[in-house]
Amino acid sequence: MNRDEIPPGTLYLLILKTLARQGELHGYEIADSIQRTSDDVLQVEEGSLYPALQRMLIKGWVTAKWGTTAGNRRARYYRLTEGGRKQLALEVSQFERVVGAIARVIQTA
Amino acid sequence: MDWLKQLGRRIGMLLHRRQFRADLEQEMQLHVDLRQKQQGELGMPQDEAGFAARRRFGNPTLIKEKSQMTWGWSWLESLAQDVLYGVRAMLRSPGLTIVALLSLALGIGANTAIFTFMDAVMLRSLPVKDPSKLVVLGSGEADGITDAFAATDLYSYPFYRQMQQRNQVFSDVAAIFSMTNDVHGFVSERSEAEPMKIQLVSGTYFQLLGVHALMGRTIAENDDNSEGNHPVAVVSYAWWTRSLARDPGVLNQNLRIGSTAFSIVGVAPPEFFGTKVGESPDIWIPLSMVQAVPPHWSGYKDNSYESLLIMGRLNPGTSVEQASTNVNLVFQQIYRQLLGTSPDGPDTQKNRELLAKRHIQITPMATGISDLRSELSAPLKLLMIVVALVLLIACANIANLLLARSTARARELAVRQALGAGRMRIVRQLLTESLTLALAGGALGIAFAAVANRLLLRMVSGAETLPLDVSLNTNLLLFTLGVTLFTAALFGTIPALRATRLQLTDSLKDGRGASGNAAKSPLARALVISQVAFSLVLLVGAGLFLRTIVNLNNVETGFNKQNVLVLQADESSAGYKEDDPRLIPLRQQIEQRLSALPGVSAASYSAFTFNEGSWNGTIYVQGYDNNKDVDVNHNVIGNDYFRAMQIPLLAGRGFGPQDTATSPKVAVISEHMARTLFPAGSPIGRHYGNGGQQHANDIEVIGVAKDVKFQDLAESATPLDYYPYTQTPGYIHDLDVRYTGDLGSISSAVQKTIHSIDRNLPINHVITLDEQVTLSTRSSILIAQLSTFFGLLAVFLSSIGIYGLMSYVVSRRTNEIGIRMALGADRSVIRWQVMREIVLLVGVGIAIGIPVTLASARLVTSMLFGLHGTDPLNLLEAISLLLSVAALAGYLPARQASRVDPMVALRYE
Repeated sequence: MNRDEIPPGTLYLLILKTLARQGELHGYEIADSIQRTSDDVLQVEEGSLYPALQRMLIKGWVTAKWGTTAGNRRARYYRLTEGGRKQLALEVSQFERVVGAIARVIQTA
Repeated sequence: MDWLKQLGRRIGMLLHRRQFRADLEQEMQLHVDLRQKQQGELGMPQDEAGFAARRRFGNPTLIKEKSQMTWGWSWLESLAQDVLYGVRAMLRSPGLTIVALLSLALGIGANTAIFTFMDAVMLRSLPVKDPSKLVVLGSGEADGITDAFAATDLYSYPFYRQMQQRNQVFSDVAAIFSMTNDVHGFVSERSEAEPMKIQLVSGTYFQLLGVHALMGRTIAENDDNSEGNHPVAVVSYAWWTRSLARDPGVLNQNLRIGSTAFSIVGVAPPEFFGTKVGESPDIWIPLSMVQAVPPHWSGYKDNSYESLLIMGRLNPGTSVEQASTNVNLVFQQIYRQLLGTSPDGPDTQKNRELLAKRHIQITPMATGISDLRSELSAPLKLLMIVVALVLLIACANIANLLLARSTARARELAVRQALGAGRMRIVRQLLTESLTLALAGGALGIAFAAVANRLLLRMVSGAETLPLDVSLNTNLLLFTLGVTLFTAALFGTIPALRATRLQLTDSLKDGRGASGNAAKSPLARALVISQVAFSLVLLVGAGLFLRTIVNLNNVETGFNKQNVLVLQADESSAGYKEDDPRLIPLRQQIEQRLSALPGVSAASYSAFTFNEGSWNGTIYVQGYDNNKDVDVNHNVIGNDYFRAMQIPLLAGRGFGPQDTATSPKVAVISEHMARTLFPAGSPIGRHYGNGGQQHANDIEVIGVAKDVKFQDLAESATPLDYYPYTQTPGYIHDLDVRYTGDLGSISSAVQKTIHSIDRNLPINHVITLDEQVTLSTRSSILIAQLSTFFGLLAVFLSSIGIYGLMSYVVSRRTNEIGIRMALGADRSVIRWQVMREIVLLVGVGIAIGIPVTLASARLVTSMLFGLHGTDPLNLLEAISLLLSVAALAGYLPARQASRVDPMVALRYE
């Protein structure tokens, strides 16, 4: 199966959207969810999730609290904040603008 | 506010960074484990699954670092690392560290201390509303009372009122009496009189300054609208604390001053000390009460009683120049109207000419007005330069020490560079170390300054401690921080840059190449040479000021300053009027009773003793052409004054019981006055007139006294005359008592005797004449002591510099010396080689220092007495002192060099 790197700058968008859809997730679940939802097309270097999550914590887009997984292990669960929701809307509209523009350029051929 | 919340979260992360790291680790571990399990469930073998999971995860170390970098504290962590590393490096060579820290602490501390005084005396703004808008008419430095026509430094009360009404440039105008009234008064029902420093102010004074009372009210305009019936007082916070222990009922208390009871209507705020720097009044009283406060000055309605300072607040947008134009215009208008209204301004040609020439200078007073400033600003500026030089010398020392150390660390640095540390990273590391050293030195310096400030305040103060706020404040700490950073940059940069400019391979080989280069080290030599040059400048200065003090001490005063007790008895506060007929018998009784005390050989009243200001003016001598140019100092004395002071009478007689209020007026004149004003024949029996009564010729010269120093030791002989107090009404305060035996018991016997005659006569300023003479030279003494201290410190630091450099050079050349000795060089030859190098260094330093010294000596000419700045003997002494100290500092490394064992040296590497 062919796997593509995620386009640069969209990692936040993907994380935000995933959390918005699924509520509370820990890191592995976020990575897994992104891959599964994209039918395994989008491939995240899974570790790079963590610096991004740290930054989002500082920005106040997400909050985190510790809980237990199904397999009874301690895990940090992330949840979107109000600020995160706004940021998601912003990033989505930005992304659509860019994708739309690219699409127009390609189709005018 | 978003960034603030973010900052809060960042700080939270910094504070709990261990927890955050552990959390991250745990979370990442979970991720990898879950992935491995998932891969395993897909059928992958155990070890392969683990490998795949880790591969998909990426480099965990890098991810951790990246995550932590998002917190934004990596710079702080590397800084902390550098600091720790630096501290460890410093602790490895404690001797060097202690020397560096001490010299930094002394250098920075001295700079902080002197700057504190500059700040307090010259720079700090008054703690009032918008001080930059305040100006004073005239220089603001005058004090006294004059009747000169249209004076431009002191003004009358009616003039103040006219100026207030007519000017168009000030939003407020206020006046204060140019002198404080130092009285003894009573608080409410207390029976002990207390000293009180009273400032008379116009009703507009507090309003002009925008100062509001802490309790009660300030003095207002309607306290100053009619003379004599507003007995109110505002007390200072310091006085309220000192005398009333901050009694909250202060507003119900009153002050009995003279024969008037003043109600306390308010307490001034703690930071307010008045408008004169170095003079903090205890009590403010409206000018309308001027005659009620001893010594009962007057002038509320008198155009020719010029005794006030006038200050104004500029209108918004008005410049000092515009104010000057308007004020001078109004001044001319006021006095032109006065012309012709005799007796205030006789309409004479002379007065018209005078008025045409008069010009009022407008002086900004944001920093307050001060006589102290003109006395202390030159010494303080000089000392600031001195301490700055000392700091430079200290910096050179530390730079040298660091230079030596960084050469010794060359291998370590080379290894780090070889392992990939960037040059800037290493420079940053070295600079951080310097900064750590400087900050530690700065902190010690502040502690040192806090102690030095108290010491300095005692040194600049006279008999009483000056009310100057020399505690450390934010401004001063910023100054110190600035100085500290500056020093760190100064002594840290060059060694750091040099240390990283290495030939890596040479250093790694621990080769002779590197050490050979370092041993020549022209930079280190240049630093030592400049230390020597600066030290010479400071030593020569110290020598000049020390000699000035010696010269001042050796000045022939004309009186015998040993064994005289001087004290002041405050007649004006004891209820006597200025022309009280009881005063003369009181004084005579006191003089007689004191003279009869065992151990007292003579006691006499005098208006002035030495360095107490003056009463001076013109006299009129018939037949002398230039009468109006003569300015004569007057003293008013008792019959035994010349005996008490041991001033020889050269001709005629002194005053005696025959000179009474009703007998013909007599005077004793000084030798100089006799010579200049009565050149032909003996002056005894000749007549002259005093002051204003131009054609009076009523004073007979009965004696000639030897010239004495009157106002200060440096003055040249001036005309001076003496009048008996029996014939000159007015308060006189000084009592001069010549004694033998124990000062303490004489002093208490004298005071007891005075109080047995008049219990209410307050006595203060008990001092010996010798101390009084010494106090008059206190700013010279201050300069001499401090410049000597810093001069010696400079030499000491330089000798450490020389010692450090030479022992370093010797240790690096052990090998070479060993070879020379193996080849047959004599120990003395080796020793001489090292010494020769030191002499050369010091010689070059001195050669550079001499012209600098001679050039800067010109700047201090006005502070010297009895010698020139270029005094050759002084220069020679400084040079020889410097040479011998340098030789001593160099002798140890030279001896060490000569004791090198050739075999040990050759095996050294």
